[in-house]
Amino acid sequence: MAFRKVCKFCERNVERLDYKDADTLGRLITDRGKILPRRATGTCARHQRQLGTAIKRARYLALIPYIQGYHS
Amino acid sequence: MRDYEVVYIFKSSLTTEEIEGRLEGHHAKILSASGSEITAVEHWGKRQLAYPIDRNDNGYYVVTQFTASPAVLPDFERALKLDDDLLRHLVVLSEGELPMPALDDRGDDDRNGDRIRRKVDAAAAPDAAAAAGAPADEGDDAADEGDDTTDDAAADDAATGGDESDEDDADDVDAEREN
Repeated sequence: MAFRKVCKFCERNVERLDYKDADTLGRLITDRGKILPRRATGTCARHQRQLGTAIKRARYLALIPYIQGYHS
Repeated sequence: MRDYEVVYIFKSSLTTEEIEGRLEGHHAKILSASGSEITAVEHWGKRQLAYPIDRNDNGYYVVTQFTASPAVLPDFERALKLDDDLLRHLVVLSEGELPMPALDDRGDDDRNGDRIRRKVDAAAAPDAAAAAGAPADEGDDAADEGDDTTDDAAADDAATGGDESDEDDADDVDAEREN
Protein backbone atom coordinates (compact mmCIF):
# COMPACT_ATOMS: atom_id res chain seq x y z
CA MET A 1 0.00 0.00 0.00
CA ALA A 2 1.23 3.42 -0.87
CA PHE A 3 2.14 5.61 2.04
CA ARG A 4 -0.05 8.66 2.14
CA LYS A 5 0.54 11.60 4.39
CA VAL A 6 -2.67 13.49 3.84
CA CYS A 7 -6.23 12.24 3.56
CA LYS A 8 -7.32 12.65 -0.04
CA PHE A 9 -10.61 14.20 0.95
CA CYS A 10 -8.89 16.73 3.20
CA GLU A 11 -6.56 17.54 0.34
CA ARG A 12 -9.53 18.51 -1.77
CA ASN A 13 -11.40 20.26 1.02
CA VAL A 14 -14.38 17.94 0.81
CA GLU A 15 -16.84 19.08 3.46
CA ARG A 16 -19.27 16.22 3.09
CA LEU A 17 -18.96 12.94 1.28
CA ASP A 18 -21.81 12.43 -1.11
CA TYR A 19 -23.55 9.07 -0.94
CA LYS A 20 -24.78 9.62 -4.51
CA ASP A 21 -21.26 9.72 -5.94
CA ALA A 22 -20.98 6.06 -6.86
CA ASP A 23 -17.74 6.51 -8.80
CA THR A 24 -15.78 7.79 -5.81
CA LEU A 25 -17.36 5.38 -3.35
CA GLY A 26 -16.80 2.44 -5.67
CA ARG A 27 -13.10 3.14 -5.47
CA LEU A 28 -13.08 2.87 -1.69
CA ILE A 29 -14.49 -0.65 -1.43
CA THR A 30 -12.73 -3.95 -2.07
CA ASP A 31 -13.44 -6.07 -5.11
CA ARG A 32 -15.87 -7.95 -2.88
CA GLY A 33 -17.67 -4.80 -1.83
CA LYS A 34 -16.21 -4.37 1.64
CA ILE A 35 -15.28 -0.94 2.92
CA LEU A 36 -11.52 -0.42 2.65
CA PRO A 37 -9.81 0.27 5.98
CA ARG A 38 -8.13 3.55 6.71
CA ARG A 39 -4.73 1.91 6.74
CA ALA A 40 -5.23 1.04 3.10
CA THR A 41 -6.56 4.36 1.89
CA GLY A 42 -5.04 6.93 4.25
CA THR A 43 -8.43 8.51 4.86
CA CYS A 44 -8.57 10.59 8.04
CA ALA A 45 -10.87 9.60 10.89
CA ARG A 46 -13.44 12.27 10.15
CA HIS A 47 -13.79 11.39 6.50
CA GLN A 48 -13.71 7.65 7.18
CA ARG A 49 -16.76 8.07 9.42
CA GLN A 50 -18.55 9.97 6.68
CA LEU A 51 -17.41 7.40 4.18
CA GLY A 52 -18.97 4.57 6.18
CA THR A 53 -22.32 6.33 6.22
CA ALA A 54 -22.09 7.27 2.56
CA ILE A 55 -21.23 3.72 1.46
CA LYS A 56 -24.06 2.22 3.47
CA ARG A 57 -26.54 4.66 1.97
CA ALA A 58 -25.24 4.01 -1.51
CA ARG A 59 -25.61 0.27 -0.94
CA TYR A 60 -29.21 0.69 0.10
CA LEU A 61 -29.86 2.65 -3.09
CA ALA A 62 -28.22 -0.09 -5.19
CA LEU A 63 -25.59 2.33 -6.44
CA ILE A 64 -22.85 0.01 -5.20
CA PRO A 65 -23.24 -3.65 -4.26
CA TYR A 66 -23.43 -5.12 -0.78
CA ILE A 67 -21.50 -8.14 -2.03
CA GLN A 68 -19.74 -8.08 -5.35
CA GLY A 69 -19.40 -11.10 -7.53
CA TYR A 70 -21.92 -13.22 -5.70
CA HIS A 71 -24.58 -15.00 -7.70
CA SER A 72 -27.10 -17.06 -5.83
CA MET B 1 -37.91 23.95 8.81
CA ARG B 2 -35.17 21.69 7.65
CA ASP B 3 -33.58 20.81 4.36
CA TYR B 4 -34.14 17.27 3.24
CA GLU B 5 -33.20 15.20 0.29
CA VAL B 6 -35.11 12.21 -0.99
CA VAL B 7 -33.97 9.66 -3.56
CA TYR B 8 -36.64 7.63 -5.32
CA ILE B 9 -36.03 4.48 -7.32
CA PHE B 10 -39.04 3.75 -9.49
CA LYS B 11 -39.59 0.63 -11.53
CA SER B 12 -38.05 1.29 -14.90
CA SER B 13 -41.12 -0.13 -16.65
CA LEU B 14 -43.05 3.05 -15.85
CA THR B 15 -43.39 5.71 -18.50
CA THR B 16 -42.06 9.19 -17.88
CA GLU B 17 -45.61 10.50 -17.50
CA GLU B 18 -46.45 7.91 -14.88
CA ILE B 19 -43.34 8.80 -12.93
CA GLU B 20 -44.08 12.51 -13.15
CA GLY B 21 -47.59 11.81 -11.91
CA ARG B 22 -46.35 9.82 -8.94
CA LEU B 23 -43.76 12.45 -8.08
CA GLU B 24 -46.44 15.10 -8.14
CA GLY B 25 -48.59 13.05 -5.80
CA HIS B 26 -45.77 12.53 -3.32
CA HIS B 27 -44.62 16.11 -3.48
CA ALA B 28 -48.16 17.27 -2.80
CA LYS B 29 -47.84 15.57 0.58
CA ILE B 30 -44.83 17.72 1.38
CA LEU B 31 -46.38 20.90 0.06
CA SER B 32 -49.61 20.37 2.02
CA ALA B 33 -47.94 21.95 5.05
CA SER B 34 -47.43 25.68 4.89
CA GLY B 35 -43.91 26.93 4.37
CA SER B 36 -42.75 23.78 2.61
CA GLU B 37 -40.89 24.16 -0.59
CA ILE B 38 -39.47 21.87 -3.26
CA THR B 39 -36.08 23.32 -4.09
CA ALA B 40 -34.79 20.94 -6.73
CA VAL B 41 -35.89 17.88 -8.68
CA GLU B 42 -33.24 16.01 -10.57
CA HIS B 43 -33.97 13.06 -12.84
CA TRP B 44 -31.06 10.70 -13.16
CA GLY B 45 -33.11 8.52 -15.41
CA LYS B 46 -32.86 4.79 -15.92
CA ARG B 47 -29.83 3.20 -14.35
CA GLN B 48 -28.69 -0.34 -13.71
CA LEU B 49 -29.04 -1.45 -10.10
CA ALA B 50 -25.98 -2.87 -8.38
CA TYR B 51 -28.10 -5.84 -7.33
CA PRO B 52 -31.63 -6.87 -8.30
CA ILE B 53 -34.45 -5.49 -6.17
CA ASP B 54 -37.64 -7.55 -6.37
CA ARG B 55 -36.32 -9.07 -9.59
CA ASN B 56 -35.83 -5.66 -11.17
CA ASP B 57 -32.40 -5.08 -12.70
CA ASN B 58 -32.97 -1.44 -13.57
CA GLY B 59 -34.46 1.50 -11.78
CA TYR B 60 -35.44 5.06 -12.59
CA TYR B 61 -33.71 7.40 -10.15
CA VAL B 62 -35.07 10.78 -9.10
CA VAL B 63 -33.45 13.03 -6.49
CA THR B 64 -35.53 15.78 -4.88
CA GLN B 65 -34.45 18.41 -2.40
CA PHE B 66 -37.02 20.14 -0.27
CA THR B 67 -37.50 22.27 2.79
CA ALA B 68 -40.20 21.24 5.21
CA SER B 69 -41.02 20.93 8.84
CA PRO B 70 -40.21 17.50 10.32
CA ALA B 71 -43.91 17.05 11.07
CA VAL B 72 -44.77 16.29 7.44
CA LEU B 73 -42.31 13.41 7.16
CA PRO B 74 -44.30 10.55 8.75
CA ASP B 75 -47.17 11.20 6.38
CA PHE B 76 -44.85 11.56 3.41
CA GLU B 77 -42.92 8.39 4.12
CA ARG B 78 -46.06 6.37 4.68
CA ALA B 79 -47.21 7.37 1.22
CA LEU B 80 -43.85 6.31 -0.22
CA LYS B 81 -44.06 2.92 1.46
CA LEU B 82 -47.50 2.31 0.01
CA ASP B 83 -46.37 3.08 -3.53
CA ASP B 84 -45.86 -0.32 -5.13
CA ASP B 85 -44.02 1.08 -8.12
CA LEU B 86 -41.35 2.59 -5.92
CA LEU B 87 -38.54 0.07 -5.47
CA ARG B 88 -36.65 2.08 -2.88
CA HIS B 89 -36.68 5.48 -1.30
CA LEU B 90 -34.31 7.25 1.03
CA VAL B 91 -35.03 10.46 2.90
CA VAL B 92 -32.04 12.14 4.53
CA LEU B 93 -31.16 15.55 5.89
CA SER B 94 -29.67 17.51 3.03
CA GLU B 95 -26.12 18.71 3.46
CA GLY B 96 -26.85 21.56 1.13
CA GLU B 97 -24.85 22.06 -2.00
CA LEU B 98 -22.36 19.28 -2.33
CA PRO B 99 -19.16 20.64 -3.81
CA MET B 100 -17.72 17.65 -5.57
CA PRO B 101 -14.05 17.58 -6.44
CA ALA B 102 -13.34 18.21 -10.08
CA LEU B 103 -13.50 15.08 -12.16
CA ASP B 104 -9.97 15.07 -13.57
CA ASP B 105 -8.50 15.48 -10.13
CA ARG B 106 -10.24 12.51 -8.69
CA GLY B 107 -8.20 9.68 -10.19
CA ASP B 108 -5.58 9.62 -7.42
CA ASP B 109 -6.39 6.17 -6.28
CA ASP B 110 -6.28 4.24 -9.50
CA ARG B 111 -2.79 5.04 -10.47
CA ASN B 112 -2.96 2.72 -13.41
CA GLY B 113 -5.88 4.58 -14.89
CA ASP B 114 -4.01 7.80 -14.31
CA ARG B 115 -0.95 6.48 -16.02
CA ILE B 116 -2.82 5.27 -19.03
CA ARG B 117 -4.49 8.61 -19.35
CA ARG B 118 -1.16 10.41 -19.18
CA LYS B 119 0.36 8.16 -21.75
CA VAL B 120 -2.50 8.72 -24.08
CA ASP B 121 -2.06 12.43 -23.58
CA ALA B 122 1.60 12.21 -24.43
CA ALA B 123 0.92 10.11 -27.48
CA ALA B 124 -1.75 12.48 -28.70
CA ALA B 125 0.32 15.54 -27.97
CA PRO B 126 2.55 15.62 -31.07
CA ASP B 127 -0.45 15.55 -33.34
CA ALA B 128 -2.18 18.18 -31.30
CA ALA B 129 0.91 20.37 -31.32
CA ALA B 130 1.29 20.00 -35.06
CA ALA B 131 -2.34 20.83 -35.57
CA ALA B 132 -2.11 23.81 -33.25
CA GLY B 133 1.14 25.03 -34.79
CA ALA B 134 -0.19 25.38 -38.30
CA PRO B 135 -3.17 27.72 -37.92
CA ALA B 136 -2.40 29.78 -34.80
CA ASP B 137 0.96 31.26 -33.81
CA GLU B 138 -0.14 32.56 -30.44
CA GLY B 139 -1.29 29.22 -29.16
CA ASP B 140 2.12 27.68 -29.81
CA ASP B 141 3.92 28.55 -26.58
CA ALA B 142 1.19 27.35 -24.33
CA ALA B 143 0.80 24.13 -26.26
CA ASP B 144 4.54 23.45 -26.12
CA GLU B 145 4.67 23.92 -22.40
CA GLY B 146 1.83 21.55 -21.90
CA ASP B 147 3.62 18.96 -23.99
CA ASP B 148 6.77 19.17 -21.92
CA THR B 149 5.04 18.30 -18.71
CA THR B 150 3.12 15.39 -20.13
CA ASP B 151 6.21 14.03 -21.84
CA ASP B 152 8.21 14.16 -18.64
CA ALA B 153 5.55 12.32 -16.75
CA ALA B 154 5.32 9.68 -19.42
CA ALA B 155 9.09 9.29 -19.51
CA ASP B 156 9.17 8.82 -15.75
CA ASP B 157 6.61 6.10 -16.01
CA ALA B 158 8.38 4.36 -18.81
CA ALA B 159 11.72 4.43 -17.00
CA THR B 160 10.44 2.91 -13.81
CA GLY B 161 8.17 0.44 -15.53
CA GLY B 162 5.40 -1.56 -13.91
CA ASP B 163 7.31 -2.60 -10.75
CA GLU B 164 7.31 0.74 -9.09
CA SER B 165 7.92 0.82 -5.38
CA ASP B 166 5.72 2.96 -3.20
CA GLU B 167 8.38 5.62 -2.94
CA ASP B 168 8.54 5.97 -6.66
CA ASP B 169 4.83 6.50 -6.74
CA ALA B 170 5.12 9.21 -4.16
CA ASP B 171 7.88 10.83 -6.18
CA ASP B 172 5.69 10.76 -9.22
CA VAL B 173 2.98 12.60 -7.40
CA ASP B 174 5.44 15.16 -6.11
CA ALA B 175 6.88 15.70 -9.56
CA GLU B 176 3.41 16.23 -10.89
CA ARG B 177 2.72 18.90 -8.32
CA GLU B 178 5.89 20.78 -9.16
CA ASN B 179 4.97 20.81 -12.78
